[in-house]
Amino acid sequence: MAWLSRPLTVIGLVILAHGCYSAHEHTVLSSTSVQHPTSPSATSLPLDIYIETIAATLLICLGLVLGSGTPEPIQWHTWAGKIEREGDSTSGDADKELRSNPFNALEARSGFINISKLRSDFVKYQQLGK
Amino acid sequence: MSEQELQINPIVQDSVAHNTKTLTNLHSLTASLFGVGAGILGLESYYGFLFYIAFSITTSLLFYILQIAPSSLGEGRTVLDSGRYYRGALELWTSGIFNGLPGFILTWTLFYGLVRA
Repeated sequence: MAWLSRPLTVIGLVILAHGCYSAHEHTVLSSTSVQHPTSPSATSLPLDIYIETIAATLLICLGLVLGSGTPEPIQWHTWAGKIEREGDSTSGDADKELRSNPFNALEARSGFINISKLRSDFVKYQQLGK
Repeated sequence: MSEQELQINPIVQDSVAHNTKTLTNLHSLTASLFGVGAGILGLESYYGFLFYIAFSITTSLLFYILQIAPSSLGEGRTVLDSGRYYRGALELWTSGIFNGLPGFILTWTLFYGLVRA
């Protein structure tokens, strides 16, 4: 659903800009017109500008909420269990180092090394070369 | 939370910082946006602050519904319980109101002046 965030925010911003322009025009017109020489503060905006502004605000709000990152579980067992089950799915590159799998050190450690076997293999290899 | 309880159920500090940062960013952004809305509508005195508080709580609610609820309810928690991601209930629901207030007033006065000039 995160892909919806950007288009929703942009559409909302356009509608909000239109609402802003309409409100400004309404104020200028009503303060300069001859028929209704009332002060700007006394005239109230038309209902459609109210609706437009509030709808645009809610739309941008929805877009921003969809675009904000998903929270991480704070309890250790929930957090580590989620990483174990779903794999390390952190998307941000900068945060990846910070919040990587806590069991990486255990998963990636090397097994026991049989030194004497390696030694005898090497001796065999040396004799083969001669 | 007692020391013993913290030892039994340890808390991931990185996740706490990440969640707080996410929520603070969201509220700072949306607070400026609500200021624009309040300025365009020409709200004055208490109505502006009521507008802000109402929309701020709406934002928290949207954040809960879209980001927290799916996994939180799946874990078997009750509705509106944010314990999976935040240490206290107040952190999610009210901390954003105070974080965004300066930004709100800034854009509110700016757009009030621009539109009503």
